[in-house]
Amino acid sequence: MVLQLKDVSYRYEGGKKSVLKNINVTFERGKLYTIVGRSGAGKSTLLSLISGLDICKDGEIIYGGTNLKTLDRDHYRAKSIGVIFQSFNLLTNATAIENIVLSLNISGSKEQDKKEFAYSLLEKVGINRETADRKILKLSGGEQQRVGIARALSYNPDIIIADEPTGNLDRETEAEILNIFTSLAHDEEKCVIIVTHSKKVTSIADEIWGINDGKLLLIK
Amino acid sequence: MYILQNSFRNIFRNRGRNILIGSIMFVIIITSVVSLMINNTTSSIIEDYKDRFGAEVALVANIQKLRDQAMATSTDGRVRVSPPVIPSEQYISFGDSEYLQGSFYTAYVGVNSGSITAIDADLGGGRDRMIMGGLGGSSQGEVPTLFMMKLLGNKFEDFSKGLREIAEGRMPEKENEIIVSTDLAELNNLSIGDLVFFSSELTDENREVYETYYTLTIVGTYFDITDEYAEGGQKNAYTNRRNEILTGYETVVAPMEAGLGGIEINATYYLKNPELLEAFAEEVYSKGLDPIYDVTTDKASYNKIVGPVEGLKSISITFMTIVLIFGGIIISLLSSIAIRERKYEIGVLRAMGMKKHKVALGLWWEMLMITGLCLLVGITVGTFIAQPISNVLLAHQIEAAEVATSQVSPTGGMMMGSMTNTYINSEVQPLSNVNVSLGLDTIFQIMIIGLLLASLAGIVSISKITKYEPIKILMDRN
Repeated sequence: MVLQLKDVSYRYEGGKKSVLKNINVTFERGKLYTIVGRSGAGKSTLLSLISGLDICKDGEIIYGGTNLKTLDRDHYRAKSIGVIFQSFNLLTNATAIENIVLSLNISGSKEQDKKEFAYSLLEKVGINRETADRKILKLSGGEQQRVGIARALSYNPDIIIADEPTGNLDRETEAEILNIFTSLAHDEEKCVIIVTHSKKVTSIADEIWGINDGKLLLIK
Repeated sequence: MYILQNSFRNIFRNRGRNILIGSIMFVIIITSVVSLMINNTTSSIIEDYKDRFGAEVALVANIQKLRDQAMATSTDGRVRVSPPVIPSEQYISFGDSEYLQGSFYTAYVGVNSGSITAIDADLGGGRDRMIMGGLGGSSQGEVPTLFMMKLLGNKFEDFSKGLREIAEGRMPEKENEIIVSTDLAELNNLSIGDLVFFSSELTDENREVYETYYTLTIVGTYFDITDEYAEGGQKNAYTNRRNEILTGYETVVAPMEAGLGGIEINATYYLKNPELLEAFAEEVYSKGLDPIYDVTTDKASYNKIVGPVEGLKSISITFMTIVLIFGGIIISLLSSIAIRERKYEIGVLRAMGMKKHKVALGLWWEMLMITGLCLLVGITVGTFIAQPISNVLLAHQIEAAEVATSQVSPTGGMMMGSMTNTYINSEVQPLSNVNVSLGLDTIFQIMIIGLLLASLAGIVSISKITKYEPIKILMDRN
């Protein structure tokens, strides 16, 4: 067990209705999870809680035996969890390589040649050197998504969460990226959690969870 | 280290915004450089003149008061204008004041000698007493003694001015040692080591004359490069500068006794602070200084010389203060706007796990680098433009001061309780040129201003950042 959610509920400030209600789930290493649900069901909210970007009012999120509320969440985000955002959230006026190197620096990576390591990571997700040296604003949506994936993988986190990671990719690249996720879960013993609408993505999941009316239910 | 590197890259990544911030910073810095250079240079000039004019005090007989007093006491129609003698012991007692940092005494007396002949002796002698409204001489009608030479005590300032220099021997060091001009020595075939005898006169308050004598040893001779006579002055042996015999103050006043006059003594007192003039005046009057004397500094000359420089200083400081206040406000607003614009970037960095203080440090580094660059350029450009700006401002100040002076009554309040003052040097000209220079203290002050501006911008940024939560920023963006 790498991550556990105990009775997690969440309501936005000023909101009357809970977005998430009493969520109980345990995520383990070596497994690929997908979370499905309608738009606005609370999938992204759940990811922001898991990623430590937000904190749940009720319930606990336990990582490595420690409640996220008491954990240094900056440190948790920098080292333990890799987040691939639906809207990429990259530094747009920096190059792809600079985004990865900065991420390595923030995480305190001990890589000797961070730039070279970043190039190799980007090559893994299909970004060549020339593209890697371009500013994010000059990359296509698909390329930005790959940079986002490379950034999430750069510091070798225990958990990788992705919000619609293949939404902007063509079929061929989608397959390549899904292979990477599968390999991360099964070969590198990472816990991979993907929020998706794509059937192709759910098809590779070890467990499929669905959010409905704020509740998380195991589908498969 | 990576924060510094990232900040450096950010300067180029956000060129437009940084050029705008840098331009404003540059304007503030260049204004500060010019203002501080002018201010620091003028401050040292003002301090120097304050020390020279404000701290130096003289006891000067008020001629108007003297004349009024003489007219009031005259019984035979003749007016004898003669300031009361300040006894040498009184001069010394005035010097013993807590308000003073030092005192300087000089004295002189007219002398005659049976053993040496004065230069231009055929033109006759002279003396300093002024006789008005009569034929001259004492009240009894006796012809007063005329002196052929002057014995000057402690009057060596011409040596420091380069007008006189020792030709042979040395300066007087002990009592009764003198130096004479080379011309006088040549005329009388005097040599170092020769003893010379002089006679003089002292008078009491009843104008009773007491003869006094000096036996002095020549220890040196001096060259004098000035004219023998002052321009427009009387020409006789007494006024001939070559007949001046120089010695120490103690030698001249040695025959002086209480109640006797005839030896002219002058004292210059140096105040610890020019502001202490009034207190010192009060003290010397209470110690017995005749009210006919004014205790004065050369404030008029000081004002005439330094007034425009003070105006220049005040303009530069006012201008800098205004620019700093408005510049500070603009920098704060720009930083605030810049942070709003960079909200997304901050959200991404925070989402990546960068701590708030590191984000803030990065922003501060950026401001510091921009400020550093502006400092470099600002100091360089400022150094070149400070002098012409200073010249233009000073010229305006001199012009304004001249206009103001021409409109002010000549009896303006420049001395304590008097209308005229012989101590005032009306010939002085205002400083027409201030050589502004960039000193280390100026560089240090500018760096402090730059650092404060960068920090001000940093504080604005940091206060904004602490309010931001990454999830909210990213959600807003999405």
